[in-house]
Amino acid sequence: MNKFYLWMGLISIGILLGLWTTFKVYTVGFTVYAKTDVLVWTLPLSAYIFFSLTSAGLAFVSSFPVVFGIQRYEVIEKRTVYLEIAVLMGSFVCLLLHLGAPLSVVYILFSPNPASPLWWLAVLYFVYFILLISAFWRIHTGKISKTLGTLIFIIAIFSSTTLGWLLGMTDARAALNASFFSFYFPLTGLASGMAALILFTMVYNKLSGQETTTEKRALFNEFSRLMGIIAGMVAVLFLWRTISGGISSTAVEYGAFKHMIGSIPYNIEFWLGLVIPTILMLLPKIRVTTSGKIVASFLLLVGMFAGRLEFVLSGVVRPLGQMAEGRPEIVGYMPTIYELFVVLFGFAVMLLIYSLGERFLKLEAAPE
Amino acid sequence: MPRYAMVIDLQRCVGCGSCSISCRNENNVSEGIYWSHKITETSGTFPNVRFHYIPTLCNHCTNPPCVRGCPTRAMHKLDNGITMHDPKKCIGCRYCMINCPYGVIYFNWKDGHSTWKSDNAVIPGVTGSPADEVRKVGGKGTPYYNPERNATLPDIRPKGVVEKCTFCDHRVIRGKLPRCVEACPADARVFGDLDDPNSHVNQLLGKFRPFRLKEAVGTEPAVYYIRDFSAAGYPRTKGGV
Repeated sequence: MNKFYLWMGLISIGILLGLWTTFKVYTVGFTVYAKTDVLVWTLPLSAYIFFSLTSAGLAFVSSFPVVFGIQRYEVIEKRTVYLEIAVLMGSFVCLLLHLGAPLSVVYILFSPNPASPLWWLAVLYFVYFILLISAFWRIHTGKISKTLGTLIFIIAIFSSTTLGWLLGMTDARAALNASFFSFYFPLTGLASGMAALILFTMVYNKLSGQETTTEKRALFNEFSRLMGIIAGMVAVLFLWRTISGGISSTAVEYGAFKHMIGSIPYNIEFWLGLVIPTILMLLPKIRVTTSGKIVASFLLLVGMFAGRLEFVLSGVVRPLGQMAEGRPEIVGYMPTIYELFVVLFGFAVMLLIYSLGERFLKLEAAPE
Repeated sequence: MPRYAMVIDLQRCVGCGSCSISCRNENNVSEGIYWSHKITETSGTFPNVRFHYIPTLCNHCTNPPCVRGCPTRAMHKLDNGITMHDPKKCIGCRYCMINCPYGVIYFNWKDGHSTWKSDNAVIPGVTGSPADEVRKVGGKGTPYYNPERNATLPDIRPKGVVEKCTFCDHRVIRGKLPRCVEACPADARVFGDLDDPNSHVNQLLGKFRPFRLKEAVGTEPAVYYIRDFSAAGYPRTKGGV
């Protein structure tokens, strides 16, 4: 009981800091972020992408029993869907603090532009959220809805690939590299979704001290191996992106990505987020341990988070056109404390929702 | 309906910056925001060097990626070819800034003209404060406030939304030229209708070989550049090995 309230207290600090940041952003202005006319998208947006793709990845996992009929995954269905909701709420928090005029989002409804990938994303996320709440309610009342699960799976495919289209449309910023991200995003989303589920389940098991059934242990061993394989696949794609865009390309537009290859986020993404988790999860002795699973999934999430920042910065650090006037060829970026608070706010909201669910909604329960 | 375009004669342009100053006055543009700007380059190696100056503004592209990407149509095309923005509909996502290959769209990171709000005098007891200066001339937010801008766009744009050059649409609908065109002392800027075969812009585009910025991106800008200035000469030569 005491531990729970202590945990809630810690989360509350994150939420209070987030609310303080919200107040500062909408009173002082966006100058509290390390943004300039060149760095128009930074950490709050990359955090949004991280959360939203993790949520899409969890949707893919929740489709295992519903869409693909792999029934042994039904035992984790309730936690997966609930975690999707919590992670999606974290993404909404980061997105709201990225937008300059969030109240004007009503014009997405009243003045729609279907030619814009951003419009489609807004629509998809709205529908996705409604479907997720409905699907969870069905599971909570004891039944899995195949229709809802299938719709969630389809929307997760569309939302993660539309995010690729969003960046692919930017012909002026070759480093954001269009078509590549339309398949890189769903795959990396799956990796981070799997990692999130493993991390949250393992930490819950460890803290609650509950005895895990043999069946569930075997399921998570299999699931962790799958996560290792996916992380390895992502690492291969990641290397090809580096080779094609960062080494062999001669286009000046790729200068930003070439610069990012030596950056801290890039190296965290590759070494900590992809290489180490792949190795850990492909070694059976480590894979079967709870600590091994926790370390590998945590590192993968850290890597994915850094990766989202790396790719957002790849698109913006090189000034274009008249913005380059009086500026260096590549602009440096260091997040401000308020940008870090936005990320903390996103995590705090996600953890608050998840922790309340874990405590009051019996996420361990398997649907009929 | 006309289809407006601008031709900038680089040989006539002296790089005085009148276009940028007059634009700022006309449109109440805040500090740090440049509806009218420039790209400068230095080529060659000392002592054989040359300075290049290209005035820039929104290109009012025929195929504008900013308009295509805007989720709420806040960024939109008018029938006369002007690319316009509506701050009321703008959600501040800055996707237009990401999409624009020319870097001509700006975001209001804070309230406009915030430096003019200060009550601190530069030399207390001797000079007035920026806010005093605004009050003295009866300005609104800035001493160079122009109420006419309010006709088609909020006179001063709020924080959290984007803004950019509008080809002075509020002047054009009243049959006036964009302010930068009018203010150019060298007549380096020529404004007119691309659909009128006899317009001055079409005469110039037919007479000289124009170029547009980043044509390979396929945005079809409505701002054309002609000629280039160089007073330099050189003795006739075939080079040497």
